[in-house]
Amino acid sequence: MPQVKIIAKNFMDMVAALPAMKLDKLYDNTFICEAVLRSLPPLAKKYALQMLYIDVPVPVKSMEEWVLPDGFSKHRVAIDRLIQLRVFIENTDRKRETSYLLHPKFKSNLQKYLVYGGVLPREPMPSNITVRLPTLEELDAYALEQWECFLLQLISSSHAERLTNFSPSMMKVFQRGLLSQREKGPRLTESGFQFLLMDTNAQLWYIIREYISNSEDRGLDPADLISFLLELSFHATGEAYNINTLTEIQRSIIKDLADLGVVKLQQGRKESWFIPTKLATNLSVSLSDSSSRKQGLVVVETNFRMYAYSSSKLHCEILRLFSRVEYQLPNLIVGAITKESLYNAFENGITAEQIISFLQQNAHPRVAEKIPSVPENVTDQIRLWETDLNRVEMIPSHLYDEFPSKGVFEAACEFARENGGLLWEDPKKMRIVVKGEIHMQMREFLRHQKQ
Amino acid sequence: MASITSKLYSDDVSLLVVLLDTNPFLWSGENTTTNSLSFPKFLTHVFSFLNSILLLNQLNQVVVIATGLNSCDYIYDSSSSPTTVESLENGRMPALCSKLLQNLEEFLARDQELNKDESPPGIASSLLSGSLSLALCYIQKVFRSGPLHPQPRILCLQGSSDGPEQYVAIMNAIFSAQRSMVPIDACVIGAQHSAFLQQASYITGGVYLKPPQLDGLFQYLSTVFSTDLQSRSFLQLPKPVGVDFRASCFCHKKTIDMGYICSVCLSIFCKHHKKCSTCGGHYLVSCKISGFQV
Repeated sequence: MPQVKIIAKNFMDMVAALPAMKLDKLYDNTFICEAVLRSLPPLAKKYALQMLYIDVPVPVKSMEEWVLPDGFSKHRVAIDRLIQLRVFIENTDRKRETSYLLHPKFKSNLQKYLVYGGVLPREPMPSNITVRLPTLEELDAYALEQWECFLLQLISSSHAERLTNFSPSMMKVFQRGLLSQREKGPRLTESGFQFLLMDTNAQLWYIIREYISNSEDRGLDPADLISFLLELSFHATGEAYNINTLTEIQRSIIKDLADLGVVKLQQGRKESWFIPTKLATNLSVSLSDSSSRKQGLVVVETNFRMYAYSSSKLHCEILRLFSRVEYQLPNLIVGAITKESLYNAFENGITAEQIISFLQQNAHPRVAEKIPSVPENVTDQIRLWETDLNRVEMIPSHLYDEFPSKGVFEAACEFARENGGLLWEDPKKMRIVVKGEIHMQMREFLRHQKQ
Repeated sequence: MASITSKLYSDDVSLLVVLLDTNPFLWSGENTTTNSLSFPKFLTHVFSFLNSILLLNQLNQVVVIATGLNSCDYIYDSSSSPTTVESLENGRMPALCSKLLQNLEEFLARDQELNKDESPPGIASSLLSGSLSLALCYIQKVFRSGPLHPQPRILCLQGSSDGPEQYVAIMNAIFSAQRSMVPIDACVIGAQHSAFLQQASYITGGVYLKPPQLDGLFQYLSTVFSTDLQSRSFLQLPKPVGVDFRASCFCHKKTIDMGYICSVCLSIFCKHHKKCSTCGGHYLVSCKISGFQV
């Protein structure tokens, strides 16, 4: 089954793809340097940290001496990432030796940060002006509600209870690649299903990536948007920040961010302010490819029954993708993983691994401590049912019959075997089946044999 | 030796427990090696290092425990919520956290009061066993906080010499750390090597280092001790050349090469005793065991 990985291109790839001058300008901002550092793979983080106070270029060989032989591939991945993001700058001197140096602005910003700490460009507003600030729980609930509403509208407008403020053309941009138009109405594509099973932060970054790539067409500079988003992840959750500290461009996108649940907008008597939610502050956690750390809600039993402690419609839709939902009670969704429901999922392009990793990552805390969090008989059975669909393999081939003599038949078999195309032979009835790719060569060979 | 296995996730969130040696005999002007590094300068190196650990990952945690002459105490915990109005990010940075310095001063004052009148000659040893125990208790609490917890490790910044009277307690702490798979790293800033810390790093799978140049301490810390546990399996980290495995006897707390071992509880004595003081076993035959190695 072809695996369409839409998670492969993540947000930092987009940052790395910016032209060198724009990237250098981005590094003027301390918080972006920090966010980029946090997004690196762990080995790369260590390299960046140890080069922080070294002023002379370090030869490549010295860096390689730090790594054990079996860690060399990780070393290469880390170095490539650092060079892509222009954190490490390569220079080749006259003796043809390459050495690395840390990007100067990046270095000086981080040095200052380590000693003095960072100062955000805006301060939280004093509490005598901001009234009725939501509590952290209310803020979390608000963010979740906004995000789910957006996702429901994304998948199918009919299911959504209320529409977000995104224009239909914007929604079309987001839906590109995830939905395809059919006669009966829009249907989710393979990537669409995989998108639904990703965790919230990865989904959020996907949407933001689409939003930013689309912003160039609307005349906004993507570098500004990227820097604002990365800066936003360093604000304090639950604190109010004045809207007039934002630039023009930032003000235009703050409404869209409120629709996604990243910030909450509130109006006072004279001023209005925005409050970053948990989705905003978790942005920098999820930049690197690490697993999510949220509370799970699914319990899978060894009798293939599934219980999900949730009341959200979105969760119900996602679970319906691969299981048969039987009852929906307040706060509990009861379902069963059946062969039919899984076949349905496999036909839609979801793989068994995705389903299993979804169940494992969203395991309820009571079962998450057990090893394994999802019973082995369930995971094994899901994989077996997947391979059921792969029982029959189709290879285009040709059948050769009515050989004039045994000698020719044996020669033909030898020839096919040497070229790796022999699939089946029957010496009694002198028939062989050969792969379609070497059919022309077989014909030539047999013609030669006749002569 | 038990290797460090990764738990449920493969990211680099870590909990670093730093044991700071605040022995006043070490930091006062009598010791020549630490003349190159005064206590304030030492603290700036350490604070920058702690800031850098917190910078690497939003969910990293740092806990600082001070090892004094007569007592130990928790000085700083980065996961405790800031009570002041300062913004969240600045509140977490130890460099700006005046609370840390305040706590340290109060601890030193309390430790001073506990000082007995007769001070032993030379540099007295600091209470490493106490701070190791405090660190392990905190780590156990973190283990029980749920399935998603940071990977813990301990870093000892030690300068004073080993006190043989703490041998038993330190070995117990080391084996407990080995059991819970918590590596103990050691960075020795004093004049001589520390046999206890060498053994600790060897047994628990940590790193032992005695930096030759103390004014570059931050560079040593960030190069060797900042790696998370996952990446350590790929890096060439300093290995101790020779580990001193000598034990100290249970009766006089002196380091010995040859001695007597109780056949029941394996306690070590320098002289033949009719009765073992640890487990109470009586002995009929006396035989001398020579030259044991772990």
